[in-house]
Amino acid sequence: MRKNWRLLGAVAIACALVTAGCGSSGDDAAGKTRVVKADNGKITIPENPKRVVATGYAVPALIEADAPLVGISTWKRGVPMMSKSEKATYDKLDKVAGEAAAETNYEAIAEAKPDLIVIGVPKPVLADVDLKRLEEVAPVVAIGPTVPSAWRDLSQRQADAAGALKGFNAAKGDYEDKAKELSEKYGDVLPDVKLAHVGAYGEIDKGTFQREFDDSWGTNVANDIGATYYGEVKEKGGGSKDVSEYPSIEELPEALGDAEAITYSVGPDGEPLKSVKYVLGSKLWKNLPAVKAGKTFPIRYTEAATYGDALLALDALDESLAPLLKK
Amino acid sequence: MTLLLVKTGDRFVRVERRTAVLSIALVATILTVGLLGLCYGASWKSPGDVIAALAGTGDSVVVVRDWRLPRVLAAIVFGAALGVAGAIFQNLTRNPLGSPDVIGLDAGAYTGTLVALTVLSGTSVQLATSSVIGGLLVAATIYLLAMRGGVSGLRLIIIGIAVNAMVTALNSWIVLRAELEVAIAAVGWSAGSLNGVDWADVALPLAIIVVLLAAMVTRAGAVHQAALGNAVAATTGVRLGRLRLTMIAIGVGLTATVTAVAGPIAFIALAAPQIGRRLARAPGVPLLPAALCGAVLLQVADLGAQLLLAPVSLPVGVVTTAIGGAYLIWLLTTEVKRS
Amino acid sequence: MTTTPATTRSPAARHVLVLAAGLVLLAAAVIVGLGVGARSVPPAEVVRALFAFDGGDDHLVVHDVRIPRALLGIGVGAALAVAGVLIQTLTRNPLAEPGLLGVTSGAGFTVILGAAAGLATGAVTELGFAALGAVAAATLVYAVGRSSPLRLVLTGVALSAVLTGIGLGLRLMLPDVFDQYRFWSVGSLAGREQAPLAVPLTVIGLALVAALLLSRPLAAVSLGDTVAHTLGANVTRIRLSALIVVTTLVGAATAVAGPILFVGLIVPQLARRLATGSVGWLIGYAVVLGAILMLAADTIARVLLPTGEVPVAIVTAFLGGPALIAAVRRDRTVAT
Repeated sequence: MRKNWRLLGAVAIACALVTAGCGSSGDDAAGKTRVVKADNGKITIPENPKRVVATGYAVPALIEADAPLVGISTWKRGVPMMSKSEKATYDKLDKVAGEAAAETNYEAIAEAKPDLIVIGVPKPVLADVDLKRLEEVAPVVAIGPTVPSAWRDLSQRQADAAGALKGFNAAKGDYEDKAKELSEKYGDVLPDVKLAHVGAYGEIDKGTFQREFDDSWGTNVANDIGATYYGEVKEKGGGSKDVSEYPSIEELPEALGDAEAITYSVGPDGEPLKSVKYVLGSKLWKNLPAVKAGKTFPIRYTEAATYGDALLALDALDESLAPLLKK
Repeated sequence: MTLLLVKTGDRFVRVERRTAVLSIALVATILTVGLLGLCYGASWKSPGDVIAALAGTGDSVVVVRDWRLPRVLAAIVFGAALGVAGAIFQNLTRNPLGSPDVIGLDAGAYTGTLVALTVLSGTSVQLATSSVIGGLLVAATIYLLAMRGGVSGLRLIIIGIAVNAMVTALNSWIVLRAELEVAIAAVGWSAGSLNGVDWADVALPLAIIVVLLAAMVTRAGAVHQAALGNAVAATTGVRLGRLRLTMIAIGVGLTATVTAVAGPIAFIALAAPQIGRRLARAPGVPLLPAALCGAVLLQVADLGAQLLLAPVSLPVGVVTTAIGGAYLIWLLTTEVKRS
Repeated sequence: MTTTPATTRSPAARHVLVLAAGLVLLAAAVIVGLGVGARSVPPAEVVRALFAFDGGDDHLVVHDVRIPRALLGIGVGAALAVAGVLIQTLTRNPLAEPGLLGVTSGAGFTVILGAAAGLATGAVTELGFAALGAVAAATLVYAVGRSSPLRLVLTGVALSAVLTGIGLGLRLMLPDVFDQYRFWSVGSLAGREQAPLAVPLTVIGLALVAALLLSRPLAAVSLGDTVAHTLGANVTRIRLSALIVVTTLVGAATAVAGPILFVGLIVPQLARRLATGSVGWLIGYAVVLGAILMLAADTIARVLLPTGEVPVAIVTAFLGGPALIAAVRRDRTVAT
């Protein structure tokens, strides 16, 4: 009985799609498909998707790549990094889900009549999404974040699935040109500096701070222009816990004492977040050699997760690292 | 107090008139809000469309019958289950605070889910199984600790609160260690949500709940006598020890089943029995009004959850706490004014 | 803690002796707390940091991180324990707790509200919001539930649940605010050394004195309304003043440390065994025992993990939970 209903459902939706979608001549265009690899297996998707719904990390990536979006989840943390036109696109699009995956509105997604759904949430969170129901609506490609620096690969795969590689490659090219230019500009000084980073992401507060190593949120863009962050986490915890850790403030001298220069995350407005402000306000911080030498650099846009965001991060790095060149 | 005699099979059951009228009114309310639930969604369907769709005709069959109907049915049945579970525990402990969420069953189920989310890969089967295991483990722990020459109501609640505090601390600890994304998902789950439930999710839980509720009905008379006090119950021939154990098993079973599918939907189990008791003006905590109030509360809350931030749907647990709690406070206030 | 059998000494002398022993224990807890932490500081350096401060990293850790933290622990522990004593005496319910009466969640809720509105950014504003919430919650719960102890607790639990639900909704809608709340919602003494502590600690000190002054009339109220009336006590006024003191204590403690739920439940239970019926001594013991429990829990919280720390509220729950269970299992009076 139940199976019959489901079958009926799939048929009914397929009918609705054919009649409301690309019109009556959809027989040849809709037929072409290809297979992509995703967190939820190998998925058969349309060759050229026309109506794409995106959620989570896929939202900024696909807006930037100019994919044919018809519905998105909200993505408040990415808004400060959006350009004017991207922000306009973000505002204009129908929201079919909230910040958390559990707030997905399945009916609204079905109403958007997508031919592809790209879900950008971490794997453990996929359990909150009723994939089966979404699959009744359209093919579902789940490509979620793993380690902080993986956004390069992830956004590429998301853009590829949505058939928007052209827009993606343009942004990637801009980023790589700029990164090359900057690594030449800083080539003489940056690679020799022993760097450490104080981050602002995750479980910080209550007397602890975040120390980020290579390939973390605050460091991965700087890595692209030749910066190296010394040391590694005491205990690898998997995912982002492989590249960052949260020691007690009492360990500040031990953790950052050897650094020749220290970078730290600040918000889009240049103001340090509360957790970073706590570190900057500590007398132990003022006792650090790098701080006494005046070699501390605020970095904006450390939450970059697309090439467009990362380009902003590069400009911000160039701006704040400039004093290094003077010597 | 007017009493009615209702014949069920070869037995007469005495039903208080107020309870009977109240029950009919509540059932009518359930049907109305249930129909509303079927009509409301991303697009409004008229009641006519809904009835046609239920009959299998019209163009909204899938949305109404496969998507909205399981959700509405789950809200009503789960609400009733939580109401009954709450009434059972409140009767046993003879205390309005003795509901499953206060004594830690929800917290235990949440621990199970957190473990599934952070340690295992977190498929929905793992989530459901480990949440049931977590709830059962906590219930068994509380029961074993509280047992000492029979179970005392107050002791059960206090030990429940103590265990609840420890389990909640453990939960916060796991959430603190988790990555931000996983933590948000975990908190989303901890609110309890009916979003996205379909027939495959609810068929088995609904069957389990119906069986448990049926088992409950056969014991209802004994429960009401037990609620009048140990001495009265003993003289009327109710075997208290065994009755208690059965009741607890049913109450835990109901709570765990709902929690496994929807996450911990707080406050229904605490509020529904109290609201029902006040509406029925009955001594003890009657089961039927508790069940019906639970159904109304959860369905209304679920509608609210879909309406508040539409088209983004909130976890229903957020709304149940707000509605249930506010109503309970209002009831208490009016009682203060009356007395 | 050994329960001394009734001796020939007068009760007051015995109390003074036990309290002095408690103070010695408290001093020991402070000294251990100053020496233990993520950065290992040799005992000799701890002493030198106190008397010959040289501005080095070791001395800074003791001076600027651990001393404020110890003071905070003493204040918060004493405040929560005494709040618990007052509420339990007031409601004649041995299980009443500031958390159960909704005062803690009231404070927590206004802090998220402030954060969501972008107002509660500094430590002082956060404190203000927490205190405001505690007062509002206590007023509401008292207004609705004042007619009976049970209803008071019931209203408190209802209010907590409502606020938690709305708070959860806000957190889900605004993950940035939520992320901050995730840590605020678990009480801890760490990382507060830069916040201005003089004001809340003074407030707590004054409220503790007020609690002691209230002990005699409270003892009358705890005998029951009728007895209290015949003894000439103004029941309503005493209840109201006790409630104001409780709110102040919980609001200040929650504002500086976040919600720490178990101290207010477990310390009065322990202190009652020592105080043998006197409300005044009960409050005295609660101050000392609450401070000791808090410092001990905080010291444990620092050494549990190789990197970082465990919030102290988690430790107190695991210390308080089993102790409460043991007490309940031993106590025959709760068996019905």
